Amino acid sequence: MGSISLTIDGRSVEVEEGTTVLEAARKAGIAIPTICAHKDLNPYGACRICVVEIKGVRGYPTSCTTPATEGMQVTTQSEPLRELRNRTLELMFSGHPNSCLVCVHREACEQYRPTATKAARSTRCGFCANRDECDLREMALKAGSNELHLPTLYASYNLERDDPFMDRDYNLCVLCGRCWRICEKIHGQPAISIINRGKWARIGTAFDKSHVFSGCTFCGACIDICPTGTLTDRFARWQGKPEQEITSTCQLCPEGCSVVAQVKEGRLLAYTMTEFSQEAGLCALGRFGAAQILANANRLTRPLVREGEDLIPMDWQGTLEVTASQLAQHRGKIAVVASASTSREDRYLYGQLASQLGGQLITLAVNAGAEDSQISSLMQSVEKGAITAVIVGGNLVPLELVTRLKCSVIIDALPSPVSEAANIVLPAAILSEAGGTFRNAHCRIKPMAGCSRAPGDARPEWHILCSLGQALNLRSFEHTSVAGITPAIVNDPPPEPIPGNPRQNVRELATRFRGHLLADILPSLGAFGLPATPKTAVTEPTGAGFTITEKKEIAPNMHFFKVVAPQVAKFAQPGQFVILMAKETSERSPFTLVDWDAKAGTISLVIEEVGRSSRELASLAAGETMAHVSGPLGLPLAIENKGTVVLGGGCYGIGAIYPLARALRQAGNRVICAIEASSSYLLYMQDTLAEVCDELIIATKDGSEGVRGGIQEVIAQVADREPVNQFIAIGCTFMMRMATAVSKELAIPTLVALNPIMVDGTGMCGACRVTIGEDTKFACVDGPIFDGHAIDWDELASRRSAYARQEVQALSQQVDLTALMHQAQGNGCSCGR
Amino acid sequence: MSFKGRQQQAQAIWEQFTQPGRLRVLIGSATCGRAAGALEVKQAFHEALAEANLTETTDVVEVGCLGMCFAEVLVELRGSDGTRVLYQGVEPRHVKDLVQAQLINDEVYAPLALAMMGESGTEIPAFDKLAMIAPQVRVVLRNCGIIDPTDIDHYLARGGYSGMARAFELGPDQVIEEMKGSGLRGRGGAGFPTGVKWGFARSSVADQKYVICNADEGDPGAFMDRSVLEGDPHAVLEGLLIAGYAIGATIGYVYCRAEYPLAIERLQGAIEQMHQEGFLGSNILGSGFDFEIKIKKGAGAFVCGEETSLMQSIEGKRGMPLSKPPFPAVSGLFGKPTNINNVETLAAVSAILEKGADWYSGYGTEKSRGTKTFALAGKITRTGLIEVPMGIALSTIIDDIGGGVLDGKPFKAVQTGGPSGGCIPAQFFDLPVDYEHLAEVGSIMGSGGMIVIDQESCMVDMARYFLTFTENESCGKCVPCRMGTQHLLRILTAITQGKGTIDQIETLRKIGDTMKKASLCGLGQTAANPVLTTLRYFEDEYRAHIEENRCPAGACRALITFSIDAATCTGCGACKRACPVDAISGEKKQPHSIDESLCIQCGSCRQVCKFDSVHVQ
Repeated sequence: MGSISLTIDGRSVEVEEGTTVLEAARKAGIAIPTICAHKDLNPYGACRICVVEIKGVRGYPTSCTTPATEGMQVTTQSEPLRELRNRTLELMFSGHPNSCLVCVHREACEQYRPTATKAARSTRCGFCANRDECDLREMALKAGSNELHLPTLYASYNLERDDPFMDRDYNLCVLCGRCWRICEKIHGQPAISIINRGKWARIGTAFDKSHVFSGCTFCGACIDICPTGTLTDRFARWQGKPEQEITSTCQLCPEGCSVVAQVKEGRLLAYTMTEFSQEAGLCALGRFGAAQILANANRLTRPLVREGEDLIPMDWQGTLEVTASQLAQHRGKIAVVASASTSREDRYLYGQLASQLGGQLITLAVNAGAEDSQISSLMQSVEKGAITAVIVGGNLVPLELVTRLKCSVIIDALPSPVSEAANIVLPAAILSEAGGTFRNAHCRIKPMAGCSRAPGDARPEWHILCSLGQALNLRSFEHTSVAGITPAIVNDPPPEPIPGNPRQNVRELATRFRGHLLADILPSLGAFGLPATPKTAVTEPTGAGFTITEKKEIAPNMHFFKVVAPQVAKFAQPGQFVILMAKETSERSPFTLVDWDAKAGTISLVIEEVGRSSRELASLAAGETMAHVSGPLGLPLAIENKGTVVLGGGCYGIGAIYPLARALRQAGNRVICAIEASSSYLLYMQDTLAEVCDELIIATKDGSEGVRGGIQEVIAQVADREPVNQFIAIGCTFMMRMATAVSKELAIPTLVALNPIMVDGTGMCGACRVTIGEDTKFACVDGPIFDGHAIDWDELASRRSAYARQEVQALSQQVDLTALMHQAQGNGCSCGR
Repeated sequence: MSFKGRQQQAQAIWEQFTQPGRLRVLIGSATCGRAAGALEVKQAFHEALAEANLTETTDVVEVGCLGMCFAEVLVELRGSDGTRVLYQGVEPRHVKDLVQAQLINDEVYAPLALAMMGESGTEIPAFDKLAMIAPQVRVVLRNCGIIDPTDIDHYLARGGYSGMARAFELGPDQVIEEMKGSGLRGRGGAGFPTGVKWGFARSSVADQKYVICNADEGDPGAFMDRSVLEGDPHAVLEGLLIAGYAIGATIGYVYCRAEYPLAIERLQGAIEQMHQEGFLGSNILGSGFDFEIKIKKGAGAFVCGEETSLMQSIEGKRGMPLSKPPFPAVSGLFGKPTNINNVETLAAVSAILEKGADWYSGYGTEKSRGTKTFALAGKITRTGLIEVPMGIALSTIIDDIGGGVLDGKPFKAVQTGGPSGGCIPAQFFDLPVDYEHLAEVGSIMGSGGMIVIDQESCMVDMARYFLTFTENESCGKCVPCRMGTQHLLRILTAITQGKGTIDQIETLRKIGDTMKKASLCGLGQTAANPVLTTLRYFEDEYRAHIEENRCPAGACRALITFSIDAATCTGCGACKRACPVDAISGEKKQPHSIDESLCIQCGSCRQVCKFDSVHVQ
C-alpha cells in the first residue's frame, strides 16, 4: 500500500492508501462530527453528519465512506456544511426524545436532579440512563442551533425486557447501525439487524424472537458501542458513568478472558471487552454475570463462628484465633478443598496450607461440585476417620460431610446450606475485589486487578489464608500484598477447560462458580437452560387483594388503573391518596387518588413508572390484583369558593389535579387547569380535564404543543391577564418548586401536594417529615397539601434522594422473566403468559 | 444449424402465422389484459369456436400488451379473407357475435372495432393512423402485442438475436463504441450514458463480472418494464446477453419483483428456450463467450430498485443502499465489477445492435437520443403505455396520443418520474420531453410514469400521496430520508387537513433541501421532489389551504363541503342512493339536500350527479 497526500482545510496530510477522508482528517487533528462511524467498524454512511466538501466532487460526500485520493482538496468547515449538518442533526433528533435539549429550564433541572429519573422508557435526557455518556446529546449541545423546530416523532415501542440481561428502548434508537454491525463483525452472522421499513424501521431479531432464541451470545458489544441509551445493561443501567476502566481478567471460567473492569464508587459495573474484535469477545457470564454476582444481596460480609445452633458474627482477629486453635487440634487430618476459579496465589496458599498442616489438597474443576469423585473419596476418608477437619473455599462439599465433622472452615462469598452448617465461615472478596494472577486453560498467565470494594468485612482469600497461616504459625505466610506471593509459585497446572464454547453459545456457559450453581445466584440464567437447584414453589394466596378492573398505559410510563377498593371509594375526598403494594413482599408506596366511584366501589389512579415499586405495579394487568390498597390517607383539600383557581399539573400530577378541579369548580370557582409535559406525546387526560375546568392550558418544554415552557410560565401568563386567587401545583418537586417561586413573586396564595418518601402513611415512621415554615410536619397525616411558600425545598430534595443508590440497586435485583423461562422450557406451558 | 439458417426457419414459421389462411385470434393477455378479463375472453373464444366447429382451423394466441389500456380487453381477429381487425373492450358476452361476424361471415363487428391492422379501406381507421399510435415510434415495444411472447421463433423471425450475432462479429470494444454512438442513456431514471457505463465495467479487471437487469419496477403507476417482460422477454434477455458480452461478464441476473409473476414465468420460459437454442451456456454460437442468466425475485421493497440495494438483496442481505464510491463497475455484486441496466435500456440495446447506432440516434434530440416509453395515467382520456421519440412535445403526448384531459376538463399539470419526480404545470404544455428540458423545469424523466392532473386534483394532496409512498418505502438507513419523509408527510397531512401553519412552507423547503443534499441514495435525494416542485409552481394552493382553510381543487376532505344546487337538482335520487352515510335526503323529483353533519366528503354524490348539481366548496 502506497501513501497518498491530500489537503484538508488547507492542511496537508499523508495517509495510507485506503484511508477514508474522515480517518485522514482525524490524523490531521481535524474533528468532523459523526454518529454512525466508529473506528472499529467499516464505513456505513447512515447518519450523514460527517459530510464534507471535496473540490471537483458534486454535492456533499460523507467523509466516513469516501476514500482519500491523491491531491484531494477537502473542506470540513463552511457555512453550507454547518447548515446541512445542523439540519440533519435536527432531523435525527426528531426521532429521539430530545425535549430536555431544547428546554429552557434544562440547566436548573439538571442541577436539581443530578441523576436521571429511573423511568421505564426514556422519554427525555432527564429520564435516560445514558444521559452522561450520550454522543448525541454532546453533539446537540455543541451544535446549539435549532432552526426547524421539529416535534419529536415518538414511536412508542415497548421497552424490551425479555432476556436476562438487557433493557432495550428502541424509542431512543437513531439507527446508526453500530450494534448490528459490531454483531456482524464479532459473530459473522449477526443476531440483530434492521427490520421493517420507513418509520417502522428499527433494530430487531429475525421474526422478533427473544434474544435468547435469536443466536445472541450476550457478548454485550452492542450495548457498549451504542451511542445512545437504546441498548443498556439492565444491571448497570442507572448506575451512571464508570469512574475507572481497568484491564483485568475474568475468572468465572477457565477461558480467563481479558476484560476491562468498569468501576464506579468502588463497585464493579461490568466487565467489558478490551476491544471490539472477535478475539476479545466475552461470554454472557463474564459480560453481565460478574458484576451481578458481586452485587448479590446475600453476600457473606462478616466472619461467623458457631456457638451451639447459631453462627455468631465475630471480628477477624477473634475468628482467626478460634479457627487456628480448632485446626491445630486436627493437624495431619485436615483436607483442603479449593475451586479452580480462584487465583494462582490463592491456590498456592491453599496448597501450602494443606501440605504444612499435613493434609490433602483437592482442587475441583470450575463446573464440578460436591458430587465430584474426589469429594466421594474424601467422604470415605472422613467416614474412616482419616480426615477430621476441612477447609473449603466455596460450596464444594456435601452437607453431610460438614455435619459429620467437628471442624469445618468455609471460605466463601455466598451462603449455602454447607456454610450454614459449618463451624466457621470466613467471608471472601472475589473476582474484581481480589487481585492476583490467573492461569487460563490456554496456559496463559494473566493479571487480575483488585479494583472494586468487597462488601462489609469480606477479605481477599490470599489475605484470609495468610492470616490463617500466620495464626497457625506456618512458614512463608507473611505476605502483605498479593504481588508478594506471585514469585513463590513454582508449579501451577492450567485449569481443566469446560466443554463447549461459552462465547458462542449461551447454553455452554460455565454452570458453577466456587461450586455454587450459577443459576442459583443469577436465576435469570435459567432462561439459557443452565441447571439450578430445584426450589419449593411458593404458593401465592389466591383470591386475596384488590382486583384491577382497568389498566392501560395512557402515555409513556404513565399507567392508568381502576381498582376495586370499596372502602376507599366510599370515603375518598379530593387531595387524598392511597398506599399501594403490588405484592405481599412489595414496598409500600403512596399515590394520589385521581377519581373514585363510591357506587361501583372503584378508585382510579395514575401511576408513573419510575422505580422498582411503580414497576411492579405497572407490570400488573387488568384482572390481576394488588396485594394492598390502604386509604384514603392524608387531609383532603378544603374546598371553598376562592374566585379564580389555577391548578398546575405535571407528570402524574396531570391526573392528580382532576378531582381538585372538579370539586373546586362545583364550589363555584373559575378553574384554570394548566398541564405541562416535556413533549406533546407525553400529555394525557386532556379531554377529561377540559370537561371539569373553565380553561385548559397546555405547556410543553419543547414547544410541540401549547405554551413553550412549564407551569411557571403559564402561571405568570395567567396572572398577567387576570387576578388569580389560588394556585395549586402537583407534580415533580422541581416543577412545584419552580412554579412556587413564580407565584411567590406574584403574591398568589399557593398550595402544593408534596411527595416525600413515605412508609406507613399514618404518621408513625416519620419518613415523610417535611419542614413548613418553622414547623415540622408529616406529609402523610398533616398533608400532603401544604403552603407552597413555606416549604423547605432543599430539605425535601435531600430527603427524597436519601436512598438514590439503593433505589438503583433495587431495580436490578428485580427480574421477572416468567414468560421467557416458560418459553425456554419448550413453549409447552399453559400458564397463559 | 447456423444462426442464419435458424433465423430463416423461424421466418418460415412466422410467415405461416401471419399469412392469411388460418383464422387467428390474438388476445392481449399481459397482466393488464388479464385484469380486464382477457383469460375469460379467451375461454369464451374457445367455447364459441368449438360451437362453430372452428377450433381446428383457428389459432388462439395470447400476446402481450399493445399499450391501449383504456381499450382492454383487446382482441385482434383475422378472418378467412385475411382482414385483421382490432377490437376493444371485448367481454365474454361479445365473443359469440365477434366469431359470427369476423370469423364466419368475414364482416367487421362495428360496435367494438377499434382499428384495422394493415391498410384500411373502410371508415374504421388503420391502426398506424390512430391518433394514439401515429406519433409513436416503437423500438422497445416493437414486438409487444404483435408476437407470441412464449415463442422464440416469433422473436427470431422479427430480427431477434441478430443483435447478439452482430455483437459477436463486432467484438466487445466495438459493441461499446456502438452503444456510445447510439447515444442511449439509462432508462431507469438517472439517464447515464449506457455505453460509457459499460466501458467502466469492461475496464475493471476481475476474475468474475456480472451484469444485472433491473426489473424491480416500483414507481406507483409505472408498468413499462412489466409490459416488455410479459410481451417480449427475449428482447430484454438478448440485451442482457449483449451487455454481458461487452463487459466480459459470464453471469447475468434478472432482478424482478415477485409481484410480477407472469413476467417471471415469461422470463423463465424464455431462458429455457435460449438454452435450447444454444444462446446460453458455453461458447455461444461459436463466439467463445459463455453466459448464464439467473432470475432473482425481489421481495417488494421499492429501494431495491436502487442499484446497490438491489445487489445487496441478490446477495441475500437486507436491501439497503451502500455509499458510492466504490461504484458497481469497480465493486458490485459479491464485490465484483458489475454492470446494471434496466429493462427498457436492455430492450433498446438488442434493437440498437440489430439495426445500428445511427438508426437509433436518428430519433430524439441531440443529448437525448432515441425513444422513451411512458405509462400514461391519471386524468387522461386514453390511458396506456406509449413509446415516443425523445423531444416530442408534451402537448402531443397529452392531446394527440392521450386524447386530452378526461372529460375535457382543464389541464393543470403532469407529474413525471413517479415518487422521485416532479410536476410540470400547464405553462410548460409545449415543453419538449427529454432529459434536459424536464430537469430544467424541476422534474425528471424517471422511469416513465406520466400522470395527468386536472383542475380537480389538489397538488398538496398529490404531494402527500407520493410522500406516503416514499415514507413507507424508505429503507430507514440514513437520517435525512427516514426522518425527512416522516416530517414532510406529517406537515403535508396537516396542511391538507387545514391544520398547517404558514411557516411550515419554509420548513418543507428546508427539509426537502436537506434530503436532496444529504441523503444516501436516490430514493432520499429525490423523495422531496413532489413537494419541492408543487411548491415551486403551486405555492398559492398551499397558502390557500393554510391561510384560507380552502382546498382550491375541492379535493381535501377536511376543507370542503358539498351542497346541492336546488335550482338544477331534478330530484332523480342518484346521489341519495350513492351516499354511503345516508346524508342526503329529499322527496322524489324535489330538490335534495345534504346534511353536513353526516357528510364524510367522499364525493360520491358529485360523481354520480348527471346535472352538475352537487357543488363543492
